[in-house]
Amino acid sequence: MNVRPDGYPLGDGAITLRFGDARSAALLELIHAGARHLRRRNIAHVEDVVPAYLAVTIFYDPLGASFEQMKARLISALDEMDSIAPAGDAGREHVIPVRYEGVDLDYVAAQTKLSREEVIAIHSGRTYTVDLLGFVPGFGYMSEVDPRIQLPRRNEPRPRVAAGSVAIAAGHTGVYPLPTPGGWHILGTTDVALFDAGCPEPALLAPGDRVRFQRTE
Amino acid sequence: MITVVRAPAYLTVQDSGRKSMLSAGVPRGGAMDSFALAAANSVAGNDPNAAALEWALTAGAIRFDQDRNFAFAGATPDISIAGRDIPPLTRVAARAGDLLEVGPLTARRFLYLAVEGGIDVPAILDSRSTYLPAALGGYQGRILRTGDKLTVGPATGSRGEFRCPPELLPRYDTLDIRITRGPQANCFGDESWRTLLTAEYRISRSSDRTGYRLEGQPLGHSLGTLPSEAGCPGAIQIPLDGNPIVLMADAPTVGGYPKIAVVAQADLPILAQKKPGDSVRFNLVTIEESQRALRRVAADLAMLRDRGQAAHSRQ
Repeated sequence: MNVRPDGYPLGDGAITLRFGDARSAALLELIHAGARHLRRRNIAHVEDVVPAYLAVTIFYDPLGASFEQMKARLISALDEMDSIAPAGDAGREHVIPVRYEGVDLDYVAAQTKLSREEVIAIHSGRTYTVDLLGFVPGFGYMSEVDPRIQLPRRNEPRPRVAAGSVAIAAGHTGVYPLPTPGGWHILGTTDVALFDAGCPEPALLAPGDRVRFQRTE
Repeated sequence: MITVVRAPAYLTVQDSGRKSMLSAGVPRGGAMDSFALAAANSVAGNDPNAAALEWALTAGAIRFDQDRNFAFAGATPDISIAGRDIPPLTRVAARAGDLLEVGPLTARRFLYLAVEGGIDVPAILDSRSTYLPAALGGYQGRILRTGDKLTVGPATGSRGEFRCPPELLPRYDTLDIRITRGPQANCFGDESWRTLLTAEYRISRSSDRTGYRLEGQPLGHSLGTLPSEAGCPGAIQIPLDGNPIVLMADAPTVGGYPKIAVVAQADLPILAQKKPGDSVRFNLVTIEESQRALRRVAADLAMLRDRGQAAHSRQ
């Protein structure tokens, strides 16, 4: 791997490997590839690998390996990456059908001086990348929303947003997997389950996956 | 079977949590005081990670519908079984029909009640822990209510007296909590570090299984929020107002506030047991010292587990 990350302890059981200081699509792609590589390597005592914008965090059992031991293993595993990473190693693709009748559709149209139809066409007109998962189980932060419909999040988050709500805030779009509080602008609803606790892999989305929203009635 | 006869304000099923679902956005969760969970289980004759009841705030009562050993650890309210007072960290035999009565929790915050065989709720994503924000795991994903009946696992056949030596317990009364430098430690200047390591911080009223807010001297930084990255229980994050928040068991898996430091896992049970208004002080140690302290705790707990099991194989 041509970028050697800096490693910092995140407490006794995790290491944050930082790959850069500024967000970019290229850096995120590198981080997703690095995270997939570390997962595939099944390094002893590693419990989970969590990629994010500038860093990958590796959770491990500190009774099995010390910080320095684990850091050395991770860096050396990443050093082999160039020769091992298959070309085009990328996430899956998902098409998520959406009924565009969300409570904030009119508000977004008014704020952006577009028609409802234009907002819908712009939101469903591009492919998004899942940057990272978090906030609640199965919630994927996807980017990048077309600048024409980017709006800051609501000042007052709603106490409860229904599961399946498709929403936007700033450069991100996402789907609420569970009923939770939420401050994003709701454009529509999907019946696709984003999180199923009964599955061994409960989250539909993974970092690096690509998502298209398809208008449906 | 055990029956909740009078539910306290907070009662859930918890075990040691979910270690490998963070990448799906599922927090580790599990017992807030991991030491007390393991100790109560070992004394009851269970695996240290077995599912137990996590109890907080108010008084309540539980009825045993079958003969079972049990033990409690963590908080130290008045507890009696069939009208007889019982001490913490001690194996007690309950008979079918016995009523277990727990007084209000005044000293410390979370009580763990381990029943021989463990609480038998379905394992969801490899854990029986209740994660309330997603209504996941535990007993129907929720807080237990009066009238709920819980199945317990097969009896281990444990008999005889067994107690946890009190010298193994964390120093719950200390103000001093060990921390290691966090991923954004370098983004905080000397003055912020001096404040963090000398000021006393009070646990705020708005603190729960997600995080403990601290009140005291705010810490200055010019970072604002950063692109989100993974956090962990014990991470001390500094939001824009400068008042630290310590992430706890149910904290979201990622977040954007800079993390100045992380509480040593060996001391997280001590912090977890602090109540609103209690004070803490932070002492900086190296990651090597912190991991060494954790290994000592793990060795103590392994010894306790082995002795707990030996105590029943003798019968």
